Amino acid sequence: MKPLIASAVFGVIMMFAALSVKEKKTFTLLATLLLVLLTGVNIYELMHIMNGEIPEALFNGMLKYGSFSIWFNTLMTGIALLYVLLCGKHIEKVGQHTGEYYGLIFFILCGANLLSGYNNLLILFLGIEIISIPQYILAGSDKRNLKSSEASLKYFLMGAFSTGILLMGIALLYGAMHTFDVSQFNFMEHNVDAMSLGGIFFIMVALGFKVSAAPMHFWTPDVYDGAPTPFTAIMATIVKAAIFVAFLRLFSETFGGISQHWTLVLSIVTALTLFVGNITAVFQQSVKRMLAYSSIAQAGFMLFAVLAVNATGFKGIIIYAVAYSVATIGMFAVLMKLKDYTYDGFNGLGRKHPLLAFTATIFLLSLAGIPLTGGFFAKYFVLTAVMEQGTGMMWLVIFALLMAAISAYYYFKVLMAMYFKKGEPELAIEVTTGDRFFLGLAAAAIIVIGVAPDILLAWLKN
Amino acid sequence: MSLHEILFYFLSLMALVCALGVILSRNPVKSVLFLIATFFAISGHYVLMNAQFLAVVNIIVYAGAIMVLFLFVIMLMNLNADAEPQKSRLVQFAAVLSGGALFLVMIAALKTAGIHAEESKIDSSGEIGLIHNLGQVLFKEYVLPFEVSSVLFLSAMIGAMVIGKKEEARTEA
Amino acid sequence: MPVAVQLLIAIGFVAIMMIASHLLGPKRRTSDKLINFESGIPSIGNARQPMAVKYFLVAILFVLFDVEVIFFYPYAVNFRALGTEGFYAVLMFVAFFFCGFFYIIKKGALKWED
Repeated sequence: MKPLIASAVFGVIMMFAALSVKEKKTFTLLATLLLVLLTGVNIYELMHIMNGEIPEALFNGMLKYGSFSIWFNTLMTGIALLYVLLCGKHIEKVGQHTGEYYGLIFFILCGANLLSGYNNLLILFLGIEIISIPQYILAGSDKRNLKSSEASLKYFLMGAFSTGILLMGIALLYGAMHTFDVSQFNFMEHNVDAMSLGGIFFIMVALGFKVSAAPMHFWTPDVYDGAPTPFTAIMATIVKAAIFVAFLRLFSETFGGISQHWTLVLSIVTALTLFVGNITAVFQQSVKRMLAYSSIAQAGFMLFAVLAVNATGFKGIIIYAVAYSVATIGMFAVLMKLKDYTYDGFNGLGRKHPLLAFTATIFLLSLAGIPLTGGFFAKYFVLTAVMEQGTGMMWLVIFALLMAAISAYYYFKVLMAMYFKKGEPELAIEVTTGDRFFLGLAAAAIIVIGVAPDILLAWLKN
Repeated sequence: MSLHEILFYFLSLMALVCALGVILSRNPVKSVLFLIATFFAISGHYVLMNAQFLAVVNIIVYAGAIMVLFLFVIMLMNLNADAEPQKSRLVQFAAVLSGGALFLVMIAALKTAGIHAEESKIDSSGEIGLIHNLGQVLFKEYVLPFEVSSVLFLSAMIGAMVIGKKEEARTEA
Repeated sequence: MPVAVQLLIAIGFVAIMMIASHLLGPKRRTSDKLINFESGIPSIGNARQPMAVKYFLVAILFVLFDVEVIFFYPYAVNFRALGTEGFYAVLMFVAFFFCGFFYIIKKGALKWED
C-alpha cells in the first residue's frame, strides 16, 4: 500500500520539479534519489511480510499484497533505478520535458504496483491503463521525429482498441460471476459457459496484445523501433514484466481451476509468438529492430510461466523478468552509446571499447539463454514449470528449445560484428566512468543470477 | 406491448442503425454525427433502466465533450483527398470470417446468459443507477479505483502538455 | 400516455411534412446553385484547413476537468451520509487534480498568445 502512494506522490513531485528546475541533470539526480527512496519503501514493506505479518485485503478486497507482489515490486523499482542510472543521460537528450518523462516513469511504476497487487478486475483495468497512457506519451515524446509520432499514434489507437476488448471481457465475466472480486470467483459446472469463457478469451487477447504475443504483436516492431530508444528500453522491460505478472496471477490463480478450457489456445499463441519473434528477428538489419523482435520471442518464453499454472511458474516469472529486464536494459544502454544502430555499427567494438563489448556480450548471452548467465535459469525455470504439468506440453517445450537455438544465431551476429569484424565504431556519446561502473554492475548481476538463481527466490513465501 | 417495450425496441433500433452509420458512412464528419446519435440512444436506454445520472453523464461527457475532441481531430486532418486505401480481397475475407466468428461467440454468450437473467434483472424498478446509491457505492466500496483514477487523469494531463504544447525555441542547450 | 401519443403525432407530422416537401418539391440542380454562398463573392480556397493544436489542448483539458466535476455530483448528494471518510477521499482526489491544475497553469497551457 505504501509503495503505491509513494510512487504516485513521487510522480507528482517530478511534475512540480519540471516547473521550477531548469538544469536537466537535476531531474536525473532527483529521479535517482526518489527511486532509491521508493525501493526503500518497498523493502520496508517486504520486511513486514517476512516478519510474519499476514497480508490482508485492502479497501474492501481491492488490493492484496503477498510476498510475491511486494518482492516483484521491489525488483521492479530496483531495475527502474538501474535503468535511470544507465539511460538518464539519454533521457535528457530526448526532448524538453525531462521532468515530465520521469514523472511518467513513476506513474508506470504505480501502475506496475497495482498490477502486482490487484484483487479486483477494476483495479486490473486501471493498472493497465495507468501503465499504458504514459507509454503512449513516451513513445511520441520525440516530436521532431516523424517515426516517433507514428509510433505513438499507432500504439495509442491499437492500445485503445485492446483496452476495449479487455473491458468487454471483464463485462462478460462480471455477467457470469456477478462480481469483480477475483477471490470470489468460483467456476462451477453451471457457469463455465460461453459467457465466462468468452470473457476469459477476451481478456487473454487483450493481455496478449499488451505483452506483444503473436498474433497480436503487429504493433511491436514499429512502436519499439519508432519510440526514442531510452523509452523503448522501459517499454520492453518493466512494463512487459508487470503485465506478465498480472497475466500470470489472473490465469494461474483465478482461472487456474478451469485451465483445461484455455491452455490449448494459449499454447498455440505461445508457439506462434516464439515462431514469429525468432524467425523475423533473423532477417533484421537494425539491432534496435532486432531487439524489438527478440522481445516478442522472449514474451513467448514468459508465456510458458502462464501456461504452467503452478508455483514454479511464479518463480520462473520472477527470474525471467529480472534476467530479461536487466539484460535488455543493458543492451539498449550499449546500443544508445553508438551512432549507427545497424549490425555494422558494432564492427570492431571489441577492440575499440573492450568494456562496452564485454558487457554487451554478457547481455546477449543471457538473452540467448547460455549457461552461467541469468537467462539460462530463466528459461530453465519456465520450461520445467510446464514439464511439471505432465507430458502433454512436451511438443511445445521441444519447439521452444529449437527456437532458442535459432535465437542464438541473431544474438551471435552482434558478437561476430564486435569481435571478428574490423571497423571504426562511432560513439554518439562519451562513455564515462559512471557508465562503465553501472554496465559492469548490470553484467555482474546477470552472472550472479546465472550462478545462484536462488537469491531471487529466497524472498518468496510458499 | 407496453410503452416501455416500444421505447426499448425503438432505442435499440436507433442505436444499431446509427452505429452502422458510423462505420459505413464515408464522410468522417457524418460518422461523428452518427456516433452522437448512438450516444443519445444509449442514454435513452439508461433512462429506461432508471439510471438518470448515467444518462446525463453520458450525454455531457461523451456526446458533448469527447465528440468536440473528435471533431477537432477530424479538422486537424487533411480530408480533401479521399485517401482510404483499398484493402485486398484476402484481408477482407479474413476480416469477415473473424468478425463472424466473434459474432457467433457473442450470441452464444448472450444466449446462455438468458437462463439466469431473472436474478440480475435490471429494469425501471431497480434503483442501482440512482445518483444516491451510486455515490454510496462509489465512495465506500469503490473508493480506491476512484482515487487511482486521479493518477490516470494526471498522466493524461502531462500527456496533453508534452504532446500538445509547442516546443519553445531552444534557448538552453 | 395521451401526452406520449400527442408527442408522437406532433413529431411524426413535422417529420412527414419535411420529408414530403423534400420529395415533392421541384428541384433544379445547377452548378451555380450548389456552390457555397458567401455574400455573392466567389469562395476562395478551402474551408478545411488544419487548425492550431492549441484548440485541441484546451478541449482535452476541458474533458479532464469535466470528468472531475462529474465525480462531485454523487458526493454532493451523499455528503452527509459519507461523513469524514468520504470527505477525505474526495479531498485526496481534488488534491491530485489541483496539482495537475497548478502544473497546467504554470506551464502556460492555457495561455492563448504565444
